[in-house]
Amino acid sequence: MNYRVITVVLLFLAFALPLVCAQKAHAIAAFTRQHKTECSTCHTLYPELNEYGQAFLKNGYVYSEKRKGDKGADKTAAAGKGEAGQADAGKSDKNEGIRLSGIPELLPLSITANQSIVYNDKAFDGDKWDFSTRSVVLQAGGAFRELAGFYATFDLFTHSSNSLLNDSNKLDELFMVWRHLFGTPVNIKFGKFEPRLSLWKKSDKIIVTSFATSAFKAGSSPFSMETTQDALEANAVVGRRLFLAGGVVDGKGRNNVDAYGHVSVKFGGTDFLGNEPELDFDRESIWDYLALTLAAYGYSGRNSDPFVTSIRNNFYRVGGDVDLLYKRLRLRGSVVTGRDTNPDFVPVTEHAKPLVFASELEYLFGSPVNFAGIFRYEYEDTGTGKVRRYIPAVAYIPLQNVKLVLQYNYENTSFINNKIALLDVSFSF
Amino acid sequence: MKTFICVMAAVVLFSTSCFAGVKTTGRGDTLNFDAAAIPSSMRASFDVMRIRCIKCHTMERTVVAITTGVAPITGQPFDRAATRAYGIKMLRKPDSNMNKQEVKVCVDLMNYLLDEASR
Repeated sequence: MNYRVITVVLLFLAFALPLVCAQKAHAIAAFTRQHKTECSTCHTLYPELNEYGQAFLKNGYVYSEKRKGDKGADKTAAAGKGEAGQADAGKSDKNEGIRLSGIPELLPLSITANQSIVYNDKAFDGDKWDFSTRSVVLQAGGAFRELAGFYATFDLFTHSSNSLLNDSNKLDELFMVWRHLFGTPVNIKFGKFEPRLSLWKKSDKIIVTSFATSAFKAGSSPFSMETTQDALEANAVVGRRLFLAGGVVDGKGRNNVDAYGHVSVKFGGTDFLGNEPELDFDRESIWDYLALTLAAYGYSGRNSDPFVTSIRNNFYRVGGDVDLLYKRLRLRGSVVTGRDTNPDFVPVTEHAKPLVFASELEYLFGSPVNFAGIFRYEYEDTGTGKVRRYIPAVAYIPLQNVKLVLQYNYENTSFINNKIALLDVSFSF
Repeated sequence: MKTFICVMAAVVLFSTSCFAGVKTTGRGDTLNFDAAAIPSSMRASFDVMRIRCIKCHTMERTVVAITTGVAPITGQPFDRAATRAYGIKMLRKPDSNMNKQEVKVCVDLMNYLLDEASR
């Protein structure tokens, strides 16, 4: 076993060494290009979001609101003093037509690709090494001035063994957020997206695998919380630290709609609009660095056998998340339970009561941050047996848009113990 | 006349960008505050800023924010409230690795530079 571990480590180093010498980070994904800022503005190690990235997401892909009484940025820039001010004003004015049309100045497209080397001790086909797991995703995102935000992801290529493949078509996400409907805090989100249940989008993580609480499926039911669906959602940040979301999902081939709701509250840290907390520079307090976010959510829906639509499964999910941040340390916990009346779509119904729990401890290293140590524990009981996963991992970003992850999945089930080592290289441009 | 032209050419050749109240050196990525123009009482603060801030971004960003009064990324006004907010943001951001005292002196320095820039 030792030589295998050594092989994986050597491979990791072989990938990493040519990249170590790089001195400057030039992340160039869509938002970076658009806002001319580095990835670390919104991410810890991409694509995991930091507090500011969470606020940017909740704010419909628009930077935090202008303060009351402030002049518009363009006017202020135009009145700027000195050469830099004039240069900045020039940047704002030179494409006035494009700006007035509401069109992003740069085509808001980017590509994220990843390539994995997987070693599976218990591979079904006996092929323990797999170098062919890869994906290429085209992304688009931005805002039409401050009126609406938009986001899309299109799977250009996804390896068939990728467990995240959740739909046969290639368009994974496409939605628009109409911000601040008629001057209210309410945003309307419409299109194909991940209904807001958990605190974290499926992409909001450093390691490769999704949280079990978001990814699990009961029996043959195609539903998982991270599956993107055709939905209409209203959400709002209330009082800066309370976030509410509720929506309906169009079930394919039936008249009924699924419904869901989410509430989250944040204590300490940057608020949901991206404003920093007030603190005293002359006095230490634990709240200077501590941020605690709590969430609760529920989903009620039904689905049916794709071949015999009369056989239906009514289900619900309820769950809660906790996200604790203190300086470089982050602890995430999530629990979901629920009930499925007929998850295997069989004539004789068999109820299932899934219970899934996941927790992740993460510590960031470096200044700027370029390394993370992670340990995740997951417990999954969906009625077909209990699964426990222990996932230690390390991640390194030689540049802000290039990431290497080395993770080991030890999966303990009632029948078998799976051991999977994975080296993943991903990059975004 | 020849002397005048030579002098003017030398002035043009060796001149660098500067702002009404804040002296700067360089341009583009190398744009920075002129260390010689920083009062000696704030030189230590400037050293903290010079070393810490460039870990993640160039000093150009800070210079532009202070001299124009507009934060170049967000497009929002860069005033005393903003220097404090950015200070807190950098304090809490692990990338900066700054402690409270370091952030405090940088905020004080930025406030001083804002005052100078507004003259």
